[in-house]
Amino acid sequence: MTETRDGAPPATDGGDPPDGSEFGVDDDASNGPRIEFRGGKWASTVPLVFFICWAIFQSGVLGIGDTNGLVAGALVGTTLGMFLVRGDWKAYADTIFEGMTQRVAATAIVAWLWAGMFAETLQVGGFVEGLIFAADALNVGAATFPAAAFVLCGLLATGIGTGYGATVAFVTLFFPAGVLIGANPVLLFAAILSGAVFGDNLAPVSDTTIVSAVTQDADIGGVVASRFKYAISAAVPALAAYLIAGSVMSGVALEGAVALRESANALGLVHLLSMGTVIVTAVAGRHIVEAISWGLLVAIAFNLLFGLSSASDIVAFTVTEAGALTGLPVVEVGETAGVGGSLYAGAVGFFPLIVLTLLIVAMAQIMIRGGGFEAIQAALLDRVATTVRRAELTMVLGTATINGMITINTAAEIAIAPYVARIGEKFNINGYRRANILDANTSALGYIFPWAGGVLVGYQVMVGPDGLGAEYGPEMVVNPIEVVPYVFHGWFLLAIFILAAITGFGREYIPDRASEEVSRA
Amino acid sequence: MSVFDKFLAGWSFRGSTPAYAAGDVIEVMVTGDGDRPGEVVARIGDSTLRIADAPADAVNTRVVVEVESWDGSAHAGRATYRKTVGESAF
Repeated sequence: MTETRDGAPPATDGGDPPDGSEFGVDDDASNGPRIEFRGGKWASTVPLVFFICWAIFQSGVLGIGDTNGLVAGALVGTTLGMFLVRGDWKAYADTIFEGMTQRVAATAIVAWLWAGMFAETLQVGGFVEGLIFAADALNVGAATFPAAAFVLCGLLATGIGTGYGATVAFVTLFFPAGVLIGANPVLLFAAILSGAVFGDNLAPVSDTTIVSAVTQDADIGGVVASRFKYAISAAVPALAAYLIAGSVMSGVALEGAVALRESANALGLVHLLSMGTVIVTAVAGRHIVEAISWGLLVAIAFNLLFGLSSASDIVAFTVTEAGALTGLPVVEVGETAGVGGSLYAGAVGFFPLIVLTLLIVAMAQIMIRGGGFEAIQAALLDRVATTVRRAELTMVLGTATINGMITINTAAEIAIAPYVARIGEKFNINGYRRANILDANTSALGYIFPWAGGVLVGYQVMVGPDGLGAEYGPEMVVNPIEVVPYVFHGWFLLAIFILAAITGFGREYIPDRASEEVSRA
Repeated sequence: MSVFDKFLAGWSFRGSTPAYAAGDVIEVMVTGDGDRPGEVVARIGDSTLRIADAPADAVNTRVVVEVESWDGSAHAGRATYRKTVGESAF
């Protein structure tokens, strides 16, 4: 096959907008609305629109980053929609089940559970302390501290897959050490958030990476490999920007490098190999569950072999009274009976997001069966996304807008994913490319604005009852609004994708290559 | 495709009108119905491929087709349906 770089545009490019029917909109009776709503097909958008309004009010207006709160919003929205249905409500209830049992939700859930176990096991295995050792060994000073924070937090987030977790770990341990040796607090917090963006965007075990891949029918390993070019194109100038800004933005002169050294542990760096195991096996085309399982085994082996954690840090059965089995390394005596450890906590940590995902997918299915989905899609294809360039810009700006509004970026990503899939497919844009467009803004915008979840979790570490402000003083508290312009990697990632949509950088079409069917997940 | 190749894929500026040659066997997403009975359309970027002998429910499915002809100036071509290999992600 051959390729025309930028040939003369077809009739649709600058000419008459295409007829929606040409692209499969409203042209198949078998896919027509199955649920009749009072108020027409647009009423089928009520559950999801109500949920988005709830999410904006809760997270954007009130600044509450609680996933369980969004679950309540989704439940109320789904219930409200039912009252708008004409006739029997059974079809509506059946559609909720139909949406929840879609493979796209199940696949994401399975990957999250494994990713959660892996991430938590790296945490208890001292990975953060290993990265702090690296910073100390490299003799990082005040001016280069933000750049080091960006790189090391990026590494941690790539390893554990959760930008929120990496932000909490680095703001707790790395941030005060940096401020104490004179790094600018605003720049340092922003650099940590940039690292979180990098890892959230690139890690194969990241919740947003998993959602972006499975909703666009692409394998996770292939998505990570295809994403690298965008991530590195934004990360290199971001690193340079932190080096430059670090040298011109002064901090508070406090002496406290000792605090940094106290928590350092070189052995924690062995988890770079655990992280590498997952990345290499996933990119090599193995199923993500298999890839993470291998990484998990390596991480557990390192933890136990090098004494980085005890067996009970990984799995712990707590009983209230001593007995014959309390001699086992995974059985402990405590005040309250229960199960704990990294495998337990890592998986449980995803439960709220799993429930939320099921509800969002159900609300999307209601929109599809009610005709609202196709109505919005037709409007976009007829009036906005009339060429492949405009379609990609629509996808980029659409994901940016919704992620700018909703604090919890994974929830925003799941809500916009069906549109990215359908609009992209209408131009045969490859699933890898669609997944990359979807995830870039999801990751970037989730860590920039003051109401973004990533910013809020870091800020909470500073202002909480036992936070950094209480412990060290007001120098350790950064106003989230000040951070906005300095989350360089987030801004550069957004800029890269706008440029990519305009110039065609990285664009691939479906005929170019197929996702790896056997290992897809 | 090797791991290394996966990282290198897409490091280029891709045009909006991909072109194909007669004899190419490619996988495409069917994006709409055509003008004639049994004909469907796959829009690839801003290029158009008209596919003959496709099933009636081919829209929004992934199909393998063989390109029969290609007009580079019109960014359009004709192809023949071979088999269905998948469906829309949503």
